[in-house]
Amino acid sequence: MAEIILNNITKEYDNGFQAVKNINLEIKDNEFVILVGPSGCGKSTTLRMIAGLEDISDGDLFLDGKRINDVPPQERDIAMVFQNYALYPHMTVYQNIAYSLKIKKVPKDEIDRRVRETAASLGLTELLDRKPGQLSGGQKQRVAMGRAIIRHPKAFLMDEPLSNLDAKLRGQMRVEIADLYQRLNTTFIYVTHDQTEAMTLGTKIVVMKDGEIQQIDNPTNLFNYPVNKFVAGFIGTPTMNFFDAECVEEDGKLCLKTLDGKIELTPEKEQKLKEDGWTGRKVTAGIRPEHLEFCTEEQAAFKGEISVFELLGSNAIIYAQCADGRVVMNTNDTVSREHGETVFMKPREEKLHIFDPETERIITN
Amino acid sequence: MNTHYKDNRSLPVRILSVLGKVLILGTAGIFTAFPFIWMIVSSLKTKADILNTDIFFPTDPQWSNIASIIFRSPIPRYIFNSAWVSLVIVGLQIITGAMLAYALVFLKFRTNKLLFGIVMGTYMLPVAATYIPSYIILADWHMLDSFRGLIISSTVSIFGIFLLRQGFMQIPKGLVEAARMDGASHWRALWEIVCPMTKASFITFGLMNFISTYNNYMWPSLITKSSEYFLVSQGLRAFFIRDGAYGTEWALVMAASAVVVVPLLVLFAFTQKWFINGIGGETGIKG
Ligand SMILES: Nc1ncnc2c1ncn2[C@@H]1O[C@H](COP(=O)(O)OP(=O)(O)OP(=O)(O)O)[C@@H](O)[C@H]1O
Ligand SMILES: [Mg+2]
Repeated sequence: MAEIILNNITKEYDNGFQAVKNINLEIKDNEFVILVGPSGCGKSTTLRMIAGLEDISDGDLFLDGKRINDVPPQERDIAMVFQNYALYPHMTVYQNIAYSLKIKKVPKDEIDRRVRETAASLGLTELLDRKPGQLSGGQKQRVAMGRAIIRHPKAFLMDEPLSNLDAKLRGQMRVEIADLYQRLNTTFIYVTHDQTEAMTLGTKIVVMKDGEIQQIDNPTNLFNYPVNKFVAGFIGTPTMNFFDAECVEEDGKLCLKTLDGKIELTPEKEQKLKEDGWTGRKVTAGIRPEHLEFCTEEQAAFKGEISVFELLGSNAIIYAQCADGRVVMNTNDTVSREHGETVFMKPREEKLHIFDPETERIITN
Repeated sequence: MNTHYKDNRSLPVRILSVLGKVLILGTAGIFTAFPFIWMIVSSLKTKADILNTDIFFPTDPQWSNIASIIFRSPIPRYIFNSAWVSLVIVGLQIITGAMLAYALVFLKFRTNKLLFGIVMGTYMLPVAATYIPSYIILADWHMLDSFRGLIISSTVSIFGIFLLRQGFMQIPKGLVEAARMDGASHWRALWEIVCPMTKASFITFGLMNFISTYNNYMWPSLITKSSEYFLVSQGLRAFFIRDGAYGTEWALVMAASAVVVVPLLVLFAFTQKWFINGIGGETGIKG
C-alpha cells in the first residue's frame, strides 16, 4: 500500500554525468508501473533512488506523503528484486526468505509459518534446505521473489528480474508476476528494456530516454497515441516504419506524397495539418507494420520487392525494399510469397502517425 | 579445484622434474624447520649436552626441564598475559578493521579514495617512527606500564584493513544492497552477510595478528616495566638474564621457548585450512 511521488528528481553521478534529469512521476497505490527504455536511459538509477540505494541529487521523493530523500533503505519498507537475484550464498533458501523477518524480530514460529506459506505459493517447498549455488536460474528467481513478498512491503521494486532467464521461462515468470500482482494488491515498480514485457504487465508505462521521461500512459494509448517519434519507434514489434513525405494540396484536398505514390488523409488529420501550416512542407510519417495493407498499383504508397518473407503461423512478416528504404509489413494474408516478388502497399489512413521532422514531436496520430 | 592436464613429456624428464621439486622444497623445508627442531631437542638436553655439537639428540631426555618451566617459573603467567592481551587486541582490530574496510568498499562518499590512500600511506611508515609519538600519547594518558596501554595502542591494524578490503571487494555489491532492502543496517550487513562470506580473510587476519601480537617484543618492552605486565618475548628475555644467569641456563631457555610456542601451534592446527585459503586470496565464497 503505497503512493510514491517523484518531484523534479535529478541524479548526477560523482563524475558529473546526469543519469536522470528532472523527472516527475506519480505512482498511485496498487499501480503496476513499468519503467522502460533503451539501455543507459536511467531506469535502474531511478529505481535505485526510490529504493534508497542511490542518493538523490535534486528534487523530492515522497512515500505516502512523507518526504523520504534522506531515509535509509532499511527504513523505507520497500522490497526489491535484483536482476542477478542477489541471494545470500551462505544461507539456505529458507534463511534467505526468512532474513527480513528475522531482522524485524518476528517470532520464530510466525517466521516459520510465513516462510512455508511463501515457499508453497512459489513452488519452493522442496528446495528450502538448499543453498543458492544448488539452484537453477528460474528457482533462484523464485527465491528472490519469495524474499520480497514475505515481508508484505509497501511497494515492490524489480530491476529487470527476468533478463537472466531463457525465453520460455521468461514468458512463464511474466505470467506469474502478473498473477502475483493480482493476489498481492500492492504497488509494483518494474524496470525492463523489453517493451513486450512492459506492454503485457503494466497498467502504467513510463517510457524513458537519456534520463528524461518521454511519455507516461497505459499500454493502449502508448501504442496508439505516441507523443513523439522515439516512443512510436520504441513501442511495438516489428518497429514502426518511418518515411519522409510532403504535404501537398491536390484539388483542395491535402495528401502526403511519398517517393512511390501518395497517401490519402483522414479529415481530422488533414484539418490538423492545415491548421498548423504544414501545407507544402515536409513531414515524417509513421505506420506500424500491422497497419499496412495490400492494394493496387495506383493506390500504392509503397512499391517494393520482397527481400525477406517470414511466415509466423497466423501471420506473416514481409520485408520489402522500396524507394523509401526498407518497409516492413505484418499481414494476416499468409499466402506464401517469393523473394523478389513485387508488392504494393498502402497505410490504413486512420492509423497513420505524422511527426514534425525537426522536433520529432507528434503532429497528429 | 583439480585441473587435470595431460603431461606429454617423456618419463625420465618427468621423474627428474618431480625429484627436482622434492629436493628444492625439501631443502627449504629443512632449513625453515631446523631451528625449531633444534629448539625442541635442546629443551630436553642436559646442561652439558647442550653445548656439545657432536650430539644432536639428547642422550638422556630431561623431562624435568619442561616440568620446571611449567610449574616453577613465571613463563605460564607470561603466556597467559600474552594470550589474553593478544585476544583482546585482535578482537578490537577485527572490529575496527572490518568497519573501515566495509566503508571503503561498500559506502559511497567523496573522500573514499583519499581515505584509502591515507590508510595505505601509514602502512609505508616504518613502525619505529611511530614509537615516540605513541609513547608520548600513552604517557599523557597515564597508560604506560599497563595492559590498557598495550591494548589501546594496537586497536587498529592497517594490514588487517587491507586484507579485509581485498576480501570484501570479491563480494557483489548487490548482496549488501539486498540486505539493506531486507531491512538490515550497515552493521548487520557487515556481520551477517559480508563476514560469513569472507571467513577465510577474517581467520587469516586474526591468526596472523594474534601471532605477531603474542610474540611482539619491541613495543611492549618500551612501554611496560613491571614483570606482571610482561608478554612472552619480554618474559623470555627476563627469564634468560634472571639472577645473572646470562647464557648459562640454555636448556631451560629452550624449554621455556618450546612451551611458549605450544599455544600458537594449537591455534594454527585448528585454523590451518582457512589460513591457507585466506593467504591465497580465496574468500570462501565458492558454493
Ligand atoms: N556510478 C555511476 N557513475 C557514473 N555514471 C553512472 C553510474 N551508474 C550509472 N551511470 C550512468 O548512468 C546512465 C544510466 O544508468 P542506468 O543504470 O540507470 O541505466 P539503465 O536504464 O538501467 O540501463 P540498462 O537497461 O542497461 O540497465 C548510464 O549512462 C550509466 O553509464
Ligand atoms: Mg539497469
